[in-house]
Amino acid sequence: MSATVDERISDELEALEAILMNDVVVKKVNDVPEIIETVVHPSTGDDVDQQFVCVTLEVRLTPGYPDISPEVTLRNPRGLDDEVLKSIYTQIKRKLLDCLGQPVVFELIELIRENLTESNLPSGQCVICLYNFVEGDVFIKTQCYHYFHSYCLASHLIAGQKYYQEEVDKLPSWQQMQAPQYQTCPVCRCRVTCDVEVLKAAPPPVDSITAPPFCLTAELKALQVKMSALLARQVARGGVVGMGDNGPPPLTITSPSDNDGGSTSQEADKAEALASARPHTSSENAPGSPQARPVYRGPYRGFNRRGKPGRRGRGGPAAGSR
Amino acid sequence: MAALPRRIIKETQRLMQEPVPGISAVPSETNARYFHVIVTGPEDSPFEGGLFKLELFLPEDYPMSAPKVRFITKIYHPNIDRLGRICLDILKDKWSPALQIRTVLLSIQALLSAPNPDDPLANDVAELWKVNEGEAIRNAKEWTRRYAMDN
Ligand SMILES: [Zn+2]
Ligand SMILES: [Zn+2]
Repeated sequence: MSATVDERISDELEALEAILMNDVVVKKVNDVPEIIETVVHPSTGDDVDQQFVCVTLEVRLTPGYPDISPEVTLRNPRGLDDEVLKSIYTQIKRKLLDCLGQPVVFELIELIRENLTESNLPSGQCVICLYNFVEGDVFIKTQCYHYFHSYCLASHLIAGQKYYQEEVDKLPSWQQMQAPQYQTCPVCRCRVTCDVEVLKAAPPPVDSITAPPFCLTAELKALQVKMSALLARQVARGGVVGMGDNGPPPLTITSPSDNDGGSTSQEADKAEALASARPHTSSENAPGSPQARPVYRGPYRGFNRRGKPGRRGRGGPAAGSR
Repeated sequence: MAALPRRIIKETQRLMQEPVPGISAVPSETNARYFHVIVTGPEDSPFEGGLFKLELFLPEDYPMSAPKVRFITKIYHPNIDRLGRICLDILKDKWSPALQIRTVLLSIQALLSAPNPDDPLANDVAELWKVNEGEAIRNAKEWTRRYAMDN
């Protein structure tokens, strides 16, 4: 032990490790503790299933700690909205001032735990349906602390299974065995293991029963007019896909799964239809899937050379982590 | 047509109330699942100054499956083919119901800022982008000027 550590700090660490055991991580540089990290949960006794929120507390010990306040960060909040987090931060600031000169980590953990216990309910919306969680809703917390209506998560998992099966069916049989199947969380893409059969028996979100009708506002109509005028100008200049092409060499499609490379007349028809500003009115006429062709799947959809679903990702985790 | 899920209504309202800079998406008069979209070419990209028209359609099982999107305005880009189809993972196997119309359009806008010739859909464009980036960028600017400017 060459480095000298303030006795107040070493006592604090010892106590933390004795009480939290594996739940606390102390990162040291040259034997000097620098960062203390722990995940804080609400107090629910030992009932882990009833913990709907959590947050990771990171305390960076400044060189003068505890005579100087440490830097405190809350990371990976789960089930907590921004208002709650803001309020916890404000309380932490006050606590740090109050405790200047003495170890503060336990106090912080307690403070955060109290707050979490108070807001131990999923807040915000189910990202799948955008309805709030209300009294009577049946919902589920995944292992990664994301909440969904059971009904909504079931739909997602069933859709995922269907997609997976379609992709597997395209593979030669020797490869089918190798394609791993797993279900992922819509928010963070962590693996989830849920019983779809149980989930899908849940009722739909309470608030979903009555959706107000949709109507176009004057503002929307004005935007539509502006857009179709722009489109008409672009069409007139040959700037629309599928129209006569006298620009630089046309882009070629080289994907093997693309079997419509030669049929430009269809595309021209389609462009004409668009040019006359008549939007498609049914799902059969969705972009990229005119009736005469099989449903558009996109040239790159499917398994890559290593037999894993999809291509290597560009996008990272899905949006909106809560 | 079946009643429109509130999710689509909420997304539409939010697109109007908190528009994404450089993006407008307006549902069609006859089909609230069909959106007319205009994406402005990002600053400091070869598409700067361009107004790109796209169409976006929310399939029946949206948000369990991704929206279908394509460019209508011609664009010279390694990840967009001559039929306007877009090579973007979140539109295919990386789709998640936690994504929304706005996130999809933002990703498309980001794709204009950062073309990725190593993951091409338009191979000849990608090839040129790799061997002679200068010329590819000139082409992209020329196409933008010729087809996507509004004057
Ligand atoms: Zn839901
Ligand atoms: Zn998750």
